[in-house]
Amino acid sequence: MTTMKIIPACRLLIAGLCVAAAVGCGKTPPAYFRPNMVEATKQRLTADQEKQVATILLAMFGTPDDPVCLPETGLDEAKLRLAAGPVRSDIVGRKNGLYREHCAHCHGVTGDALGPTAAFLNPYPRDYRPGVFKFKSTERADKPTHADLVRLLHNGVPGTSMPSFALLPAVQVEALVEYVKYLSMRGETELALMRAFFELDDDAQGKLPETREFLVDETLSPVAEKWRAAADAQIQVPPMPADIDMVASIAKGRELFYGDKANCVKCHGVTGLGDGQANDYDDWNKAIVEIGKELASGTTKAREASTAGMSPEELSEHRAQLAWLDKFGKVLDGDALEPRTIPPRNLRHGIYRGGRRPIDLYYRIHAGINGAPMPAAKGTVPPEDIWHIVNYIRSLPYGLDGELGADKPMLARDRF
Amino acid sequence: MVAGFNWTFPLACLLVGVTAVLLCFGALVTTYDAAMAVPDWPATYGHNMFLFPFADWFYGPWDLFLEHGHRLLGATVGLITLALATLVWLREPNATVRGLVAAAVLLVVVQGALGGARVLLDDKTVAKVHACTGPLFFAVAVAIAALTGRGATAASASGGPALRVAVALLVAAYVQLVAGAQLRHLDAAVVTPVMFRWLVAIHLAGAAAVAGLSWAAVPLCRSQGSGAAGRWAVVIAALVACQLALGVGAWFVSWGVPSGLLPAAWMPNEPLAARSGRGAAVVTGHVVLGMLILGGSVALAMATGLFARHPARATA
Repeated sequence: MTTMKIIPACRLLIAGLCVAAAVGCGKTPPAYFRPNMVEATKQRLTADQEKQVATILLAMFGTPDDPVCLPETGLDEAKLRLAAGPVRSDIVGRKNGLYREHCAHCHGVTGDALGPTAAFLNPYPRDYRPGVFKFKSTERADKPTHADLVRLLHNGVPGTSMPSFALLPAVQVEALVEYVKYLSMRGETELALMRAFFELDDDAQGKLPETREFLVDETLSPVAEKWRAAADAQIQVPPMPADIDMVASIAKGRELFYGDKANCVKCHGVTGLGDGQANDYDDWNKAIVEIGKELASGTTKAREASTAGMSPEELSEHRAQLAWLDKFGKVLDGDALEPRTIPPRNLRHGIYRGGRRPIDLYYRIHAGINGAPMPAAKGTVPPEDIWHIVNYIRSLPYGLDGELGADKPMLARDRF
Repeated sequence: MVAGFNWTFPLACLLVGVTAVLLCFGALVTTYDAAMAVPDWPATYGHNMFLFPFADWFYGPWDLFLEHGHRLLGATVGLITLALATLVWLREPNATVRGLVAAAVLLVVVQGALGGARVLLDDKTVAKVHACTGPLFFAVAVAIAALTGRGATAASASGGPALRVAVALLVAAYVQLVAGAQLRHLDAAVVTPVMFRWLVAIHLAGAAAVAGLSWAAVPLCRSQGSGAAGRWAVVIAALVACQLALGVGAWFVSWGVPSGLLPAAWMPNEPLAARSGRGAAVVTGHVVLGMLILGGSVALAMATGLFARHPARATA
């Protein structure tokens, strides 16, 4: 009888242990940088070529656990080592592995925005590899300054899942910024290497030259130079006149908002609720959309093509094309997220992703937002008028009575 | 000492209490990613674990406080388990209790070894198994306390649908903790967005199952079970309601309010704060409450007749 009673306990215990054991069937493999398979497939690289790119990148940048930093990058290796590797801390509380602790679950170990949680986030986390950053104090095509990235980490990106890291010690924020730059340089170098195969002449036999001149001087240095130049590329902002008549400035800003020159109304809508043109994509998603379209039309064309009259060479080419299309479809399934449109910002919330200081809004309007459809007003709107638009935008979250009136649009007739 | 006093029950209760604190520390270790704050094991920075300078631990870095504290509590739980095992082996005739205590000793040893392996191998997979074995040990400790309690012999074995629902709730609560452990120990180098989506789906399905079973248990246990079963069912149902709120909160403090979920005017205009105390409290609270629900489910299952201890047969 006693044996009978012990059986349910044992059953439950064994079932529990089985569940516990089932969740870990082997040791975790070491972290690695995922190759940019979308670009590799787009460029039709062979397996050997993919391997050559991986080998070069390993030599130039190391691994997630053991990063290498060539002097040409201008990066601080001590900071990189603080951010790289698995999470650990020492007896006085100095922490390593900061990137994997705070960033990798969304941005991915490679900085490819394919971290585990990425698909759930809206907007998707930033993919650092193209080297494009939205919120900065530099001109549209320039890299952000170091201070821009520090500020972004400190403030977070309101209205998104990107948190503020203001509670982290400054030294840790510095290390994370350095590591983001490292991942971005690595990603851009990878893209440059993959695209370089296209320009190889026949003598190269499909292999990139493994010379310092090509790899460092021609490939890495231009990428690093853009980061170095960012500090000198800051937008020169004329100060807003101290004695500005704010009511008149807001009225002028409204005129510009709805006018042809700034034409903010086109996307942000007559109500400022972001309900204008809302079917555009940012650069990261647009690239995937375009590849998807190319794949769809290529597949249709290839399937409709009659193989009856094809020569053996044409037939072989046709089959290679079908195989490539099939491979690309699978790569997109695993290495790209479902593209999403980018809605224009609702200006009546008072939530400004790139920062809420007037100067932050000035930067956004002056240079536009790199990677997003938001165009630069530079060249079409004079600097002093940009301040008027800034003042108008800052007034939008408030109703005519001065009360916070987010989501209570003014009637369109009141605006004209 | 009172002659003939049953020390097994208070010792089992002590084990449950200290294990609960241990699990809180374990949850905090995961929340703060503090598992590797001490790189060696079983020593702590070369010191015997128990002789590590108190001031260096208590007033030291937060990560070290959590990890070393977790180890000290683990060792304490191990010692209490051994003391309980000795007492039960000498005094307790009930085979179920003896079996459960043997299971507790086995689990505490395995769990200690897993904790050590997690540190020495610096491996997240081992961490996941460690996180799944902890609640299992807690469930066994609660079962021992429930069986050795004064009311155990008086508990009516209701059986039937109430017992079946209670056991299903117990299993669901544990599986839910296992699924939660996979989400908490995310290895960005291994888990893809597709895998994460599946893990979230499983966790949400588990939440629905636990909620459904816990709420179904209330009328069943109140009508069919003992008074204790009815009370436990109500407590668990209330805990599950809180747990659902904490689960939503855990998502919000980790990744923000999903866009489109709330009216625009209600969306927070402040960014999330990484490593905030409030965020850590919500996420850790979600884990700890999950463990309490598991413990409550064990008590409920026993109150509805699992391991029913009929006085006439107990000494058979």
